[in-house]
Amino acid sequence: MRQIQKYFPIIPVFAAYLAMFLIAESMEGMWQLMSMLLFYCALGQAFNVFMGMTGYVDFGYVAFMGVGTYGMALSITRLAQYEFLGAWILVVGFGLALVMSTLLSMAVGAVALRLRGAYFAIATIGVNEGFRFLIEGARIWNGSEGMIFTADLNKILGRETAAALCTYWADIIVLVLAVLAACVTLVYMRGKIGYALTALREDEDAAKVMGINVTKFKIIAFITSACLAGLLGATAWALKTPYVFPPEVFEIHYTIEAIIIVMLGGAGTLLGPVIGGLVYGISKYYLSIFLPGFQLLIFAPVILVIIVLFPQGIVGMLKARTKGTGLERFIV
Amino acid sequence: MALLQLEHVTKRFGGLVAVNRVSLEIEEGAFVGIVGPNGSGKTTLFNVINGVFFPEEGKLTFRGQDITRLPPFRRAPLGIGRTFQIPRPFASATVRENIAVGAMFGTQGHKLSVDGSLEVADQIIERVDLTAHRDKAAGTLTPVEKKLVEIARALAMKPRLLLMDEAMAGMHPNDIDQMVAFIKRVASEENIAIVAMVEHIMRAVIGLAEKVIVLHQGSKIVDAPTKEALQDPRVVEVYLGRAPEGEAC
Repeated sequence: MRQIQKYFPIIPVFAAYLAMFLIAESMEGMWQLMSMLLFYCALGQAFNVFMGMTGYVDFGYVAFMGVGTYGMALSITRLAQYEFLGAWILVVGFGLALVMSTLLSMAVGAVALRLRGAYFAIATIGVNEGFRFLIEGARIWNGSEGMIFTADLNKILGRETAAALCTYWADIIVLVLAVLAACVTLVYMRGKIGYALTALREDEDAAKVMGINVTKFKIIAFITSACLAGLLGATAWALKTPYVFPPEVFEIHYTIEAIIIVMLGGAGTLLGPVIGGLVYGISKYYLSIFLPGFQLLIFAPVILVIIVLFPQGIVGMLKARTKGTGLERFIV
Repeated sequence: MALLQLEHVTKRFGGLVAVNRVSLEIEEGAFVGIVGPNGSGKTTLFNVINGVFFPEEGKLTFRGQDITRLPPFRRAPLGIGRTFQIPRPFASATVRENIAVGAMFGTQGHKLSVDGSLEVADQIIERVDLTAHRDKAAGTLTPVEKKLVEIARALAMKPRLLLMDEAMAGMHPNDIDQMVAFIKRVASEENIAIVAMVEHIMRAVIGLAEKVIVLHQGSKIVDAPTKEALQDPRVVEVYLGRAPEGEAC
C-alpha cells in the first residue's frame, strides 16, 4: 500500500488533464483554448524536470523544441516520397526528434553544465540564437526559408487524416506528452535521482561530499527534459502547424514562458507546472482579448510579487497550507 | 595497515602553501583530534582528504587504495564521511530525506533502495532524538538541530572514517558532552575512525581523542597521544606564543 501511496500525487495531475480533455471535447469552441493550455502545461512539466529539480535555469531550452520540430519536419519532407511507409514516417519523425534533442542536449550539457548559477544561465542564452544563425547562415535544412510540408503530410496520410492530425490528434499527443512528463517527474522524485537532484539543488558541494555524482544526475535530468522538449516541438509545432521557420522555433520567448510557468506554479513540484500552465495560459488568453499587447507588461510585476510573497510558487504555498491534513499526500 | 595514510601531501593556493608535506596515519576506529590555530591548514587538509581539492604532491591511501586523484563522490562510497563547520543540510528537504540521502549514497548505497534508505534514516532519527522534527524542512531548524541533522546524515553513510569539522562549535557545553558521548558510542559500535578538527573547544578533544595532531602554518608539528601532545612546548607556543627570551616573567 505504501508503495502505491507514494504515487498518489499523480492523481490531481491526471484529474486536471482529464478535466481539460473533457471540457475541450464537450464544450463548443473550447478546443483552441484547451489546446493552448495543454501546450503550456506540457511545456512547464518538461522544463520543470530540469529547471525545477536542479535549480539551473536554462535559457536555451527552446532550442530543444526547435530541433525536435526539425526532426519531424525532416523525416516528413525527406520520406514523403516513400508513400508506402504511411504513418510510420511520423514514428521515424518522433525518433529523429528524440535523437536530435538528445544529441544537442549532450553537446550543450557537456559544456554548460560545468558552470553554475548565473554563469550557466548566460552560457545557455546563446544556444538557441546560435543554432538559429547556424541554420540560417549555413543554409542547413533550407536555411531561413524553412520548410512547409502540408502537401507532404497530405500525401503521406491522405487529406482528411492529415487535417484531423493537425486539428485534433496533435493536441491529443501533446496531452499524452504532458502526462508522460508528469509521470517521469514523479518517478524521478521518488527515485534516488530525485533525492540526488534535491541535494545538488540545495548545496552542490555538500552533495558531492555525500557521495552524489552530481554531474551524472544533472546530465540525466538535462537530457530527459530536452527529450520531452524535442517531442513537444515535433508535436505541437511540426504536426499541429506543418511548417517550420527558424525564427519561430528558436524564439527565446518560449523559454521565458516556460520559466514563468514553472516559477508561478512552484519549481520542483509535480503539480506546479500544471497550475502554472493553467494560470498563465488562461490569463494570457483573456489578456490578449481584452488588453492585447499588454500581457508581458502585466506578467512581469505579477511574477515579481509571486517571487517575493510565495517563493515556492502556488503549489509551494498549497503544500504549506495542507501540511498535516489529509490532502498532504496528494500535493507534491 | 592504517585506514588512512597521507604521505608528504602538499596543497598550494598560488604562492600560499596551505598544507605542507603532511604525512599521517589514521588507524581503524581511532579518535584523532586535529588541532591548530586559525589558518593552520586544518580545513584544507580535510578538503584534501575527502577530495574537494587534489594535492599537488604526495599520496593518499584509504583502506589500501590510492585515492589521491579520486573525486569526492567516489570517496564517500568507500567510507569517507564529512560534516561541515557551518552545517549544510539540504534546506528544502525534510530531516528524514536529508538523512536518507546519506544512506542512499554512502557505503551501503549500492544495496539500499530508496525505501531502505528511509528506514535507515528513521532508525538514526530515533537514536539522535530528532523524531519531533522528522518531517520538518531542515532549513527551518535551529543551528544546533541542523548540526545534529548533519551528524546523523554522515552516520547514515556508515562511514569507516568520519571527518568532523568543528562539529561542536557553537553548542552549549551540556549538549557537547551529550553529543560527544553519543558519537563516541556510535563510533566504537560501528568501528568508525573519527578525525575531529578543533579550533577552540579543546575540552571535547581532551575528553575523547586518543591522539592529537597539531598543525601550524600548514605543517604537522606534533603527532602524539593526547596527553603528551597537549604538554608539548611547541603546542603551547603555537597557541600562546613564546615568552620573550631573557626577560623575567
